[in-house]
Amino acid sequence: MKSRLLRNVLGSLLSFVLVMGIWQAIVVWGQVAPYIAPRPLDAFRAISGDWSTLWPLTLWTLRETVYGFLAGAVLGVVFGIVMHKIAMLQRVLYPILIVTQAIPIVALAAPLVLMLGFNLGPKIVIVAWIVFFPVTVNVLDGLTHVDGDLLTLARVLGARRWRTFLVIEVPAAIAPLFSGLKIGATYAVTGAIIGEMAASSGSSLALYQHNANANLNAAAVYGTTLIMTAIGISWFLLIVSLEFWATPWRRRVTARRRRIGGKHK
Amino acid sequence: MSHQDLLRLEALRKSFGSTVALSDTSLNVQRGSFVSIVGPSGCGKSTLFNMISGLERPDGGSILIDDRDVTTRTGQVGYMMQKDLLVPWRTVLGNITLGARLTRRLTYDDRRRAVDIAQRYGLGDFLHHYPMALSGGMRQRVALMRTLALDHELLLLDEPFGALDAQTRFEMQQWLLSVWRESERTVLFITHDVDEAVFLSDRVLVMSSRPGRVVDDITIDLERPRTLGTLTSAVFNGYKSQILEHLHGRVGP
Repeated sequence: MKSRLLRNVLGSLLSFVLVMGIWQAIVVWGQVAPYIAPRPLDAFRAISGDWSTLWPLTLWTLRETVYGFLAGAVLGVVFGIVMHKIAMLQRVLYPILIVTQAIPIVALAAPLVLMLGFNLGPKIVIVAWIVFFPVTVNVLDGLTHVDGDLLTLARVLGARRWRTFLVIEVPAAIAPLFSGLKIGATYAVTGAIIGEMAASSGSSLALYQHNANANLNAAAVYGTTLIMTAIGISWFLLIVSLEFWATPWRRRVTARRRRIGGKHK
Repeated sequence: MSHQDLLRLEALRKSFGSTVALSDTSLNVQRGSFVSIVGPSGCGKSTLFNMISGLERPDGGSILIDDRDVTTRTGQVGYMMQKDLLVPWRTVLGNITLGARLTRRLTYDDRRRAVDIAQRYGLGDFLHHYPMALSGGMRQRVALMRTLALDHELLLLDEPFGALDAQTRFEMQQWLLSVWRESERTVLFITHDVDEAVFLSDRVLVMSSRPGRVVDDITIDLERPRTLGTLTSAVFNGYKSQILEHLHGRVGP
């Protein structure tokens, strides 16, 4: 167990080094001008040099990402359940949900700012807008694909419908739920940045990057991108850890807890 | 002698459209007995089970368990299918108590009893295993324990060993017999396998299709406990050919 974790961490480190190496190689051997693309170290230096400005902005973007993600996740789960339970609603809602995803999100940002102002509001809506869809689709799929015989068995045993839902259907949807959450997690930060681009009055990571770009400060532009990426990766990793913890049956032979029944091998 | 009968079917019948799935069937099953049902696909075996378990409403007739009318009432019998239907997110213990969890709040007592039956029937070392880590035979054992745990006197077993290989199957049959003997339940057992029916049962009901009905009711008078030797005895083969004749017409020259 421990060694597998170690190998995973080592693998991630190696891939980080590899990407940085390729970046370095392209810039150095390609003789790319520093105002077009900086070397990796310069990018890191640019953000560490202005950390006191960037850190609060990072926290702000993280907050938008997290709030929006949570709102989208809850919305996604609710939609998934409701659509599963009420067939008519599924027929009505499904096309609408697809339409929501077909609308270019950038086009949505401007009217959202008019409605919700320049604060957290529009960012949360945009992130939730992106996140809820894969969650809904996966939850709905999970609930739909519960073995019909299992539901029959529950009926034979005399289970009421809501108990069957809680004891069988909900746990069966957990693994698909996490598939949806992971997809959502990777897109969430993108949504937050789009929101910031369209609707930042004061300061934000997106605005900071925009200004750096205007000043031909490529190091800061790339550095900001690194921060945005780091937010996305951290959030994704958190969801993966949550999944790891929430679905022990997919990786373990025996349960960790033993409340009753003595010891096991 | 009706007090000896756990299950009574009275003039039970069921049609789907113009197809008679089960024509007027009356049947008594003695408490504590092991009764198998054999017959071709479409002979109404499953319809019969679905009605006894309360899933389907018969067109006519009634189902009595212990002289209580249980027609269309679910939750009165234990039920086990060919698929083990274990839920992957619960351990063996959690799967055994699934029935209780589905019908009411799970108590300490439910778990205690589940541990007891698991230990008594050879699953003690696997209580905390997830189903994914178990073999097909082990999974079926857990499924039977789940069926036993609800304490229904009547167990409906619908081809529970149909998906197992021959060797595991024989082990499971012997194991089932020991469970049945010790737990003092009454078993109705659907199978396609005539050997299995004769080997396990006190009584074999032979059904035929179109319309689905019971065409023969054979009492199996073989000494218990039954062993490998039982399978090759002349009496065993006598029963077997009697049943096969009903299923396929005359056997052999």
